[in-house]
Amino acid sequence: MGDSAYSFSLTTFSRTGKLLQIEYALNAVANGRTSLGICAKDGVVIATDKKLASILVDTDQVSKVEPITESSGFVYSGVGPDYRVLVRKARKSAQKYFRMYREHEPVSQLVKTTASVMQEYTQSGGVRPFGVSLLVAGVDPDLTPRLYQVDPSGTYIGWKATAIGKNHVNAKNFLEKRYQDDMELEDAVHTALLTLREGFEGEMTSSNIEVGVVSITDGNFRILTPEQIQDYLDEAN
Amino acid sequence: MSRDSNYDHHITIFSPQGRLYQMEYAFKAASSASGLTGVAVRGKDSCAVVTKKKLPDRLVEPKSVGHTFSITPNIGCLTTGLTADCKALVQRARYEAADFQFKYGHTIPVHVLARRIADLAQVNTQSASMRPLAVLMLLVGVDEEHGPQVFKVDCAGHYLPYRAAAIGVKEQEAANFLEKKVLDYPNYDSDQTVRTAIMCLGHVLGSDFRGTEIEVAYVEGVNGKFHTLTEDEIESHLNAIADSDN
Repeated sequence: MGDSAYSFSLTTFSRTGKLLQIEYALNAVANGRTSLGICAKDGVVIATDKKLASILVDTDQVSKVEPITESSGFVYSGVGPDYRVLVRKARKSAQKYFRMYREHEPVSQLVKTTASVMQEYTQSGGVRPFGVSLLVAGVDPDLTPRLYQVDPSGTYIGWKATAIGKNHVNAKNFLEKRYQDDMELEDAVHTALLTLREGFEGEMTSSNIEVGVVSITDGNFRILTPEQIQDYLDEAN
Repeated sequence: MSRDSNYDHHITIFSPQGRLYQMEYAFKAASSASGLTGVAVRGKDSCAVVTKKKLPDRLVEPKSVGHTFSITPNIGCLTTGLTADCKALVQRARYEAADFQFKYGHTIPVHVLARRIADLAQVNTQSASMRPLAVLMLLVGVDEEHGPQVFKVDCAGHYLPYRAAAIGVKEQEAANFLEKKVLDYPNYDSDQTVRTAIMCLGHVLGSDFRGTEIEVAYVEGVNGKFHTLTEDEIESHLNAIADSDN
């Protein structure tokens, strides 16, 4: 864990047996902008609210949805700078895997590695846990679409559909009503946009949200362009 | 130790609400410690930065107390916050840019440098051994890839590209002024860019300047050099502004 002068862990057990720093980190996540993901039978979609603090910001160059390998991508809720660290580490680990095995790292493996990194920061000396929860979308080599959530504690859970961040309670209720096991990717994208709009402050447009999809047909994780998002929004109206 | 959760005010660990107090305090120091406000504007092919010159004493050598620095010949910055922290960050940025040039044989793109500085700032918010640097930086440069760029990099490790930005004590008022004509800036030539930045500062500080009282720097064109304007050049811009008002 580097050259920290602190050789003792900052995350320690409370008298009641809780790891408070991790709980506080989860609060930091719950203060972040909403993100959600839906796992359809033929692909996965993840989306987030990209609302920025000022119209002076140049939104084109800001991205929260990040591709990690060819067939997987992350989105987050919580502390942005911490997220960048995880993205970088995940990409590096994916490259290491490819170098060793000459095959693309499966999503499930990627998630395990990333979760393990996050766990390290809850136990190592002189560091605090990451203030982000990740949603990982990807298609495994056996063509199974997968959606995972990774928490500041290093716990990872596979989901059919989930939401994190500010509005996650309402969003998850909404998703629970709308989710169907045999959903197709197109429907999933629509549902994702509707769910995002539910809790959106102000008007939701193609430039203040970000959407990433990966389909089992080509296994490529791609971020939708504003034009493509606009098409979906037009259909929804 | 963390069960006391009084330490959340001393080192960068989470508070019960999920906040990082040390980061917030660093922000406060960065915004208000120097008492200055800085403005940056991005034009069609140039970027300008402006701030007030504050001489603590008349005996001080003016050239030694600037807040604008060049990082590479084509990339420059404007910093507010604790002076020593600003200087340390600028030196690190210069090192990173030079190291990039050495490794890859290519000048560092502005957004890569911005991200690198931001990532370094993030380390201090997660590792207890070093406090965050109390610095807010407006990084400007003109890229081959993206044209003119203005990035605001802060102590928390956030970095965002801006069409126009402000940092420091009067950041909010400056941002309100800049927002009014934000859609026009991409068409501005270098003179208009510089003048918009100066007018914004004048508006917020509520005073008319003379050429000796403000620091102005800009970079124009992909091959342009980041340079500070002389007092005469500043005077001519101020006169042009005054003329256009009349």
